[in-house]
Amino acid sequence: MGLFDWIDNRIGYRKLVRSALYEHVPGGSRWRYIWGSTLSFAIVVQFITGVFLWMHYSPSAQTAWESVYYINEVMPGGWLLRGIHHYMAQLMVPLLVLHFMQVLIDGAYKAPREFNYWFGLGLLMLTLGISLTGYLLPWDQRGYWSTKVVTNLIANVPVVGDGMQRIVVGDANYGHHTLTRFFALHAGVLPALLVGLIVAHIALFRKHGLTPALPKKKRDGMFFPDQVLKDAVACTIVMLAVLGLVWFFKGAALGAPANPAEQYSAARPDWYFMFLFQFLKLKPFAPDGPFGDHGLTVASLVIPGLVFGLLMLMPILGRWKIGHRFNLMVLFLGLAGFGYLTAVAFIKDGSDPSFKAAIEQAKKDAARAVTLAKQRDGIPNEGALALLHDDPQTQGPRLFASQCATCHAYDGHDGLGQPLKDRASAPDLARFGSREWLNGFLDPKQIETDKFFGNTHFVKPKDGGKKSKMVRIITDDIAGYGADEKAQLAKMVAAISAEAKLPAQKTADSNDAAMIEEGRKLLADIALDCTDCHAWRTIEGGTGPTFEGYGSAEWLREFLKNPSHDKFYGKRNDRMPAFGETSRLTARELNLLIHWMRGE
Amino acid sequence: MTEPSYNESQPPDRRDFLKTAACAVFGGACILPPVVAGITVLTAPIREAVSGGVKVKLATLDGLPPGPPRLFAIDVERTDAWTRHQSKAVGAVFLERTGERSVKALSAACPHLGGSIEYRADKKDFYCPIHDSAFAASGAVVQPSPASRGLDQLEVEVTAEGEVWVVFQEFKAGTKDKVAVG
Repeated sequence: MGLFDWIDNRIGYRKLVRSALYEHVPGGSRWRYIWGSTLSFAIVVQFITGVFLWMHYSPSAQTAWESVYYINEVMPGGWLLRGIHHYMAQLMVPLLVLHFMQVLIDGAYKAPREFNYWFGLGLLMLTLGISLTGYLLPWDQRGYWSTKVVTNLIANVPVVGDGMQRIVVGDANYGHHTLTRFFALHAGVLPALLVGLIVAHIALFRKHGLTPALPKKKRDGMFFPDQVLKDAVACTIVMLAVLGLVWFFKGAALGAPANPAEQYSAARPDWYFMFLFQFLKLKPFAPDGPFGDHGLTVASLVIPGLVFGLLMLMPILGRWKIGHRFNLMVLFLGLAGFGYLTAVAFIKDGSDPSFKAAIEQAKKDAARAVTLAKQRDGIPNEGALALLHDDPQTQGPRLFASQCATCHAYDGHDGLGQPLKDRASAPDLARFGSREWLNGFLDPKQIETDKFFGNTHFVKPKDGGKKSKMVRIITDDIAGYGADEKAQLAKMVAAISAEAKLPAQKTADSNDAAMIEEGRKLLADIALDCTDCHAWRTIEGGTGPTFEGYGSAEWLREFLKNPSHDKFYGKRNDRMPAFGETSRLTARELNLLIHWMRGE
Repeated sequence: MTEPSYNESQPPDRRDFLKTAACAVFGGACILPPVVAGITVLTAPIREAVSGGVKVKLATLDGLPPGPPRLFAIDVERTDAWTRHQSKAVGAVFLERTGERSVKALSAACPHLGGSIEYRADKKDFYCPIHDSAFAASGAVVQPSPASRGLDQLEVEVTAEGEVWVVFQEFKAGTKDKVAVG
């Protein structure tokens, strides 16, 4: 007795294999029968990749994003592993739809296969549940904010909603227990139920046999090898499609770390739930619609419940010929509705500039978080959010947009790339303090444009009086400067700009040390009368802002504290608020803003 | 017995063989990517290079008078997967003043299976309470002991200012030879 004979004698595997492979296929193998197998294959792939991901994922508010970042960006092969898991999940939805269509069109849901059909519906729900719970696990802005919408919908269920929401979220707020609970559902509870139902689904499929698509085109065949080969080819194509998606999108995206303090306006569910997202926004469900305050409950609970109930009833309806036709009509209407609502949702987002801006910003933040984590050889204990929280490049533009962009532009935008809401009424502050900025300011052609003083009271005095002295000097005197004076001015600009010690100008400042030194002497000699008004070293100056440390971090900090201080604009300050002294900006925020403005 | 021939009377056999082979090829091909990706990630640790020891300042000569060995914790800056720790405890060493400017450092990890060694002042020896390995004050293994080598001695550097620095390193447990790991 050989080894295999011995094993077979003890466990009887040959009978098992035979019964698995030699299933009767009425009408022979066909390509339309592949969908069940491709779905089983997809589930196997999710289990394999899921277990490996599980070995490296850490479900807590301070480690979820961080561990996914580590899988995605640092671990060799991690991006591929997560990419396959992510895109296979995406492909499972069309595979489910195709399987469902085949079952309905071929009448495989009708007696005696009612239970198998119902098990299939259960599997559909479980798959969607696994997708939904998995969406939160990376704990990025997208997953966080869109899952919040879902758990708030749960709270809307009459009577038991609040309690259910608490149970799902694990607390009143999102946190560690939200992740541990979602993870246990995603990787434990729901997959276990899925396996149980699949076993029942396949066992019942074997019990009742395949429902042939009529009319039969060939003589009856066996599952192996003909149908198995078709299934294997189909599974290979599915895998190639997944790999293609992973390659095309360079792995699965990871957004910026979830930030409960920063609403993410581009929060959207995964594409296959977009129809529901759009459905909730339909007019009849608004508070002023026919359902009044119950609109949300009707849209999120009553109607989906009725649709599901109808799906459950299909095997009963299918007993009559007209019922089968009705079922097919429901199927195609449902698919059309799904397609229509999905398309509307995507078209709407595609033409919404604020949505696009939010997506762009999210991409920037995500890339920045990854860069910072890599630069610093890891993430602090507090988590990746701390990296972004203390990062001038992330916080500077936000502070600028919320505090400064009501008057100032930054390179023509609000700091975040969006146009200013109103016409700029103060200078553009991009590269403030650099030679380029100072030369632009002193240019008679530019000073009266919106880039500098064009829309300030220095050019348009409130009382209709004269323009400010500085503006008049630039437009009248500087415009008439000869070559010598121009050369003197260039040296003084270099000297004033060197005060800022801008990182971007470090090389130029050290290369032009001699010229800067000459400029300093000229300032000390009150050349071109600059230091008549502006303080410089021992010269007290007058009504203009001091040149001492002009544009440096310290100068900006003092200026932002109170621009009306005698050192700066004094009483002539237009309308710039004292951000520091009024605590409109904290010391930390001032630092972030200043470091970002200076390109540090 | 005649050689079986794949003539027209037996085409299904040959076709079935090709189909079976094709099933195996496609079946294997489609499942390979997730398995390969998973195993690549799983086995990443074994492809990581062995890092050298970390040099840590533990004491000063003044703070380490002659006497029984004293246990010192090793806290180093370390990245654990994604987390950057400014100070993370990674082990412990026994320091013993052996001369005016000399200090001896012994790792507190048992060379048998990594248990934590304690110093028994009454017996003036080292002892691992897990499998009862015993070591002399010099660090040499006392037989019979399950450990096959003495305590691992670590490199010590005493600076001109009297600072005591130790090069902390972990060694493979259970072997007769001292092999650096991690």
